[in-house]
Amino acid sequence: MPVLFLNILKVLFIVLLYLFLWQIARAVRANLGPVGSGRYGRRASEIVLIRGGEGKGERVRLRSSGHVIGRSEQADIPIDDPYASEFHARVGLADDAVVVTDLGSTNGTYLNGRRVGNTPTPVRKGDTVQIGKTILEVR
Amino acid sequence: MTRNLEAALIVAASVIAGLGVAIVEFAGGSWLDAQVALTLITFLAAFGGLHMAIRTWSPSADPLLLPVTAFLTGVGFIEVYRIDPRLANVQRWSLLVAAGVGAWVSYVLRSEGVAVLRRYRYLFLAGAVVLLVLPLLPSSWPLHGATVNGSRLWVRLNLPGLDRALSFQPGEVAKVLLAIFLASYLADRAPAMSVVDRSIGRLRLPEPRYLAPVAIAAGAAFLVLIYQRDLGASLLIFALFIVMLYAATGRAVYLGVGAVLVIVGGVVGYLSFGHVQRRVAGWLHPFADYTDTGYQVAQGLFALGSGSLTGAGLGLGRPDAIPAATTDYIFAAIGEELGLAGTIAVIAAFVLLVTIGFGIALRSRDRFRKFLATGLTALLGIQTALILAGVLRILPVTGITLPFLSYGGSSLLASMTTVVLLARISHEERT
Repeated sequence: MPVLFLNILKVLFIVLLYLFLWQIARAVRANLGPVGSGRYGRRASEIVLIRGGEGKGERVRLRSSGHVIGRSEQADIPIDDPYASEFHARVGLADDAVVVTDLGSTNGTYLNGRRVGNTPTPVRKGDTVQIGKTILEVR
Repeated sequence: MTRNLEAALIVAASVIAGLGVAIVEFAGGSWLDAQVALTLITFLAAFGGLHMAIRTWSPSADPLLLPVTAFLTGVGFIEVYRIDPRLANVQRWSLLVAAGVGAWVSYVLRSEGVAVLRRYRYLFLAGAVVLLVLPLLPSSWPLHGATVNGSRLWVRLNLPGLDRALSFQPGEVAKVLLAIFLASYLADRAPAMSVVDRSIGRLRLPEPRYLAPVAIAAGAAFLVLIYQRDLGASLLIFALFIVMLYAATGRAVYLGVGAVLVIVGGVVGYLSFGHVQRRVAGWLHPFADYTDTGYQVAQGLFALGSGSLTGAGLGLGRPDAIPAATTDYIFAAIGEELGLAGTIAVIAAFVLLVTIGFGIALRSRDRFRKFLATGLTALLGIQTALILAGVLRILPVTGITLPFLSYGGSSLLASMTTVVLLARISHEERT
């Protein structure tokens, strides 16, 4: 009887360990998921660094609150580009469309070669955004 | 909301710890006793207190770090208690002290955040060096080094009126200080270091002066190996340098140079030190010299093997037959009593911890915080991987603790501080 009892306890204990880990794993997964999944989940856009020294080819999943791009370490997407301003431009979402806004940069932000002003300008998939010497693509 | 989830999970982890001790008591023939209540109270006090500290001073911190930590500490504590209840009594106090220090770190960083650590980097470097050489103090001084099992890692403080000396392993804390220093140093230098300006054929090399940190890392690690005879710490420090250099610059050449240096260092170490040769012999042929060099490795294998799928049951195996069962070989002890299921649960918890840590690093916006989170997580991950590989006979046994699970106050203190720093970084990233 005690042997059986102890065996049952053992198995129950192991089950308990896994239940606990399962809870954590679920929460970790929810935390790691793309920010803004759900509403934009299906067609989450990405910002891809095409050219530029550091972080070439790096992909950043566009989040609903948008990203500030610039030379500053505090920028959401810091780029190491001497021609970029500290806080150069902002790429964000407005009504499910990707938009880019210049933040009063010194050298300007270019969408497919055309200078962008300080009003949110819609970006379509495949368009290139140039900041200093760095080129980004929205996919 | 998420903070309440954290609180609930911490209570659950504490209950698991208490329940485990209760099962050990049942197996030993006694019913619920004071030990179970003491365990439950200690865990609730330590992790509940830490939870309150983080709730107050870094309210947006990742809510899952502490529960995973509590889980790992709990599983380790059960096994330490099962092997030696006296050690578990000491460990209880260590846990409370470690949680207290963690809460204090959280308090110190409450207004300025980890950025304050970046400013004092040379203080941390000096602190780490002092801590690393502290065990070399002559044995006759009141504060002196001590040699245990052939490694000079311990510092003992004789206090009047205390019958046993207070002892600690300063190297454990030194690793965390080194990670802070490296993160700060690399946050300033990384952009210059990732520039490529010379190449030999297809091999692109960074400027020689940027390889200097690697040389310093190798030198420091080798000195630790020679003077303290500590294989594990030297490998860990070296791996930390290499991983952080790689993460900061994105240049795979550092990994290559690091791997070559590890191999060269390993061969030189093997040829010149008896203790390294013994470790390698025990690793390759544990049964050839079963009674001597292979004894610990072989006992660990027996424990893991006899544990089978679900183990002998808590309190029903013979984990005390493994040398260093409460420290380096705690994983084998868990394997014996909770089986493959228990060991996989432990590994899964570590994987979750490392996932959370790297997630924090990925989401940090500032370079220093990113590197610090990377370094601290890598430290926990590499240490775990090294000792598990040793116990599972993938690598020679390196003689380091399994973070959170092993008996030992210094290790627990260092690991707990690491987790609190990660929590703080995740808080700053969300505000």
